[in-house]
Amino acid sequence: MGRYVRRRLIQMVPLLFGISLLIFLIIQAAPGGPEAIFLENRLFIDPSVIDAFRQRLGLDQPVPVQYVRWVTAVLSGDFGISFTTGRPVGDMIAERLPATLELMSVSFVFAAVVALPLGVYSAVRQYSLFDFSATTASFLGIAMPVFWFALILQLLFSVNLGWLPTSGRDTIGDGSVPDQLKHLVLPAFVLSIRHIAGWSRYMRSSLLDVIRADFIRTARAKGLRERIVLSRHAVKNALIPVVSIMALDLAGLFSGAVITETIFAWPGVGRLFVQAMFSRDYPLLMGILMMGSFLVVFFNLLADIAYAWLDPRISYR
Amino acid sequence: MITRVRLLVAFLVVTILASCGPGPTAVPSQPAASASASAGPTKGGVLRIGYGAEVDNLNAFTSQFLTDIELTMVEGLIVSNDKNEYIPVLAKQVPTVANGLVKTRSDGKLELTWPLQQGVMWHDQVHEFTADDVCFTWKYIVGTGSEVYNRNSYLPISDCRVQDKYTAVMVWDKPSAIYNGLFEAVLPKYMLEGKDIVKYDGYNRSPVGTGPFIFVEWKSGEYVRVKRNPNYWRGKDYPYVDEIVFRFIPDINTRLNAVKSGEVDFAQMTPTQVKDVKDLANYNLTLVQQNSWQHFDMSIKTERGAKIFGDKSVRQALFMLIDKKTIVDGVLEGTVQVADTVAPTTSPYYNPNVKKYPYDPTAAKKLLDDAGWKVGADGIREKAGEKLSLTALLSSADAIGKLYWQVIQQNMKAAGVDIKIDTKDAAARSQVWRSGQWEVQISRWVLPADPSVTGLYSCKGSNNMTGFCDPVMDEQMIKSDEELDPAKRKALLFKAQELLAENAFSLPVYYNVNPIVTSKKLVNFKASGTNLGSFWNVYEWYLGK
Repeated sequence: MGRYVRRRLIQMVPLLFGISLLIFLIIQAAPGGPEAIFLENRLFIDPSVIDAFRQRLGLDQPVPVQYVRWVTAVLSGDFGISFTTGRPVGDMIAERLPATLELMSVSFVFAAVVALPLGVYSAVRQYSLFDFSATTASFLGIAMPVFWFALILQLLFSVNLGWLPTSGRDTIGDGSVPDQLKHLVLPAFVLSIRHIAGWSRYMRSSLLDVIRADFIRTARAKGLRERIVLSRHAVKNALIPVVSIMALDLAGLFSGAVITETIFAWPGVGRLFVQAMFSRDYPLLMGILMMGSFLVVFFNLLADIAYAWLDPRISYR
Repeated sequence: MITRVRLLVAFLVVTILASCGPGPTAVPSQPAASASASAGPTKGGVLRIGYGAEVDNLNAFTSQFLTDIELTMVEGLIVSNDKNEYIPVLAKQVPTVANGLVKTRSDGKLELTWPLQQGVMWHDQVHEFTADDVCFTWKYIVGTGSEVYNRNSYLPISDCRVQDKYTAVMVWDKPSAIYNGLFEAVLPKYMLEGKDIVKYDGYNRSPVGTGPFIFVEWKSGEYVRVKRNPNYWRGKDYPYVDEIVFRFIPDINTRLNAVKSGEVDFAQMTPTQVKDVKDLANYNLTLVQQNSWQHFDMSIKTERGAKIFGDKSVRQALFMLIDKKTIVDGVLEGTVQVADTVAPTTSPYYNPNVKKYPYDPTAAKKLLDDAGWKVGADGIREKAGEKLSLTALLSSADAIGKLYWQVIQQNMKAAGVDIKIDTKDAAARSQVWRSGQWEVQISRWVLPADPSVTGLYSCKGSNNMTGFCDPVMDEQMIKSDEELDPAKRKALLFKAQELLAENAFSLPVYYNVNPIVTSKKLVNFKASGTNLGSFWNVYEWYLGK
């Protein structure tokens, strides 16, 4: 096991290099450069200012030179300076991470708490009224556009009922725990809907497979009560594929949710990414994308390790 | 009620007089003393502003965003007001020939004397604002690599001299009419001397100024907070508001919901949201007319473009196929005004008598027929093997543009002109737009209070994207930039506007508006449509009952 993990970790190095090169080229290939922000917002622009700007940022150099410079800096722990704000990319991401983690983990836990029992109950009562309603609801949940649902909730709970704030992370000048929780409710709920819908479907179908397996029949034949059969034998085995799906979704915890964060003015990494993309802020984009890529690779490894732990038949050498 | 209004008027008059007065001595607490307790400005309170996208930095010179937030903290020699005039702030007077502060020297150079307010302290309350700071600011801007967006406007200043502590003298290489629109901010020398200002976070994220509000905090992705400056130089009563919070709410629908649920006192809307906010019980809606207009342009920087648009009658025909009235009333729901020239109607330089191009398909078709563009078998006009099929460049962020291009597309189609719409993301569009490799497009320019358009339409203008060039018009514009007599300058600019319309180089479509909703409690908000924004008199805003 230890050797396996070590090997996988070493494999990550060339993989991440490859990813970084690919992302770098794709970003550079997008038409329009970082100077676009000059042209969009300020209209009378001295063209020599654009040249000075490009020169300061090293954009006057050929792309391979820019990439080598970027890689060299990253290897010494420096992710560069944002083109738009002039601040270190690492700092900018770090100050957004807590908000994203808060939002994502709350919605993640809430979704897990709701989705897993929902899936189990649907499977046990297959083709019941409950199962049909849950199935319909989860398809709705998967199909519903996030931006639309978010605005409807704002309209209902903020504008009409006045119970919850429309957006932001806290009321400026308040910032107490109840105040922060109030701000968290709508975005966390909107984000969890899709997870609930997805995970409860996986849970249901996975449990339906397991319930028909021989070892469950054996357990029942031994005279075990249905509750014990389900909780000790069926659900634990049915969780294996669900856990691997959830582990991959964990990577998203750090990269945030682009649309939800923008609509709820949530100060997370997702919104930072959108800003960086529109202003062609190459170093910031590279920073956020590389963090995301690293996490996907890393959580993949974690998922593989979790398999082995859940299912003794799987072993790594 | 009448007395209240009268008192308010009296108060406004006093304030305006006071702010035009010779110095800080004329300003003190007169308004509060003259108005009774019930009608006087209320002190205190937090003004909550629903702002759009987060700004990049808070340096008025290098930020690529409007400088609304900066101007609550930082002041310059001048600012532009709601009447498109430059008024003095840290300068006691705006120099003019008439008041003797602008002199032409014997060597032909221009000398400008800026008398400065005395006893103005920077926010640290240790250092005084002096002429040294003004000349330091000039030196920074003209330095290579300052990245100040309008650096080229400062380059003709060849020297800045500290005559005494409260007088700065600037020497211009040649007469220039645009001198009074510069220095909308002054930098603190004590803090920035020897620093690489473009990269210096100590200033760019927490600026120090002389303004009515002091920087408190900037929470990334959330808000910028500023608090009242208790030692503001205009007098201890100013500013009235204790604190201003600029909350960043990028999504326009969320901003609307934040207004409707009363979370903000001030927010910028879009023209298509006007119907949603015009009847809100607790808010006023102000349609701020911007120094900005949408204009239909054609590029002759490509070979095909030069062939088609080189013919003036083709340009005029295209102009007459754009139904401005339907665009204004239908697409923009009557929130904006049709434009016929480049100067806004609120400007003293607005010329109402330029050649107009009303929607007239019959005349347009005749012009095209006469120019040899005959309708082909597919209904599209053609001449010498070239089809009159044009590609319109559009930014994907331009929601209103998508709507009015549909109107134009239909109108043109009926006259045998085919329009294809090429939608690109904002950054990509800008690159193509700047390269000249496009055919037709509609976009906006934003002007300062100064009406010069030389950079846009002169043959060598740094922002001339279309390639059109008329030496006669050039002469008018260049002369107007050097004319110090306002009356003569006006005549030159009137002529330039007439030539621009006559030449059919660019068709103004409509003037942009900036719909701002403000809480009914907010008093003294006087919107300005210039590039310096609406916070020019924020020191006298207050939140009433």
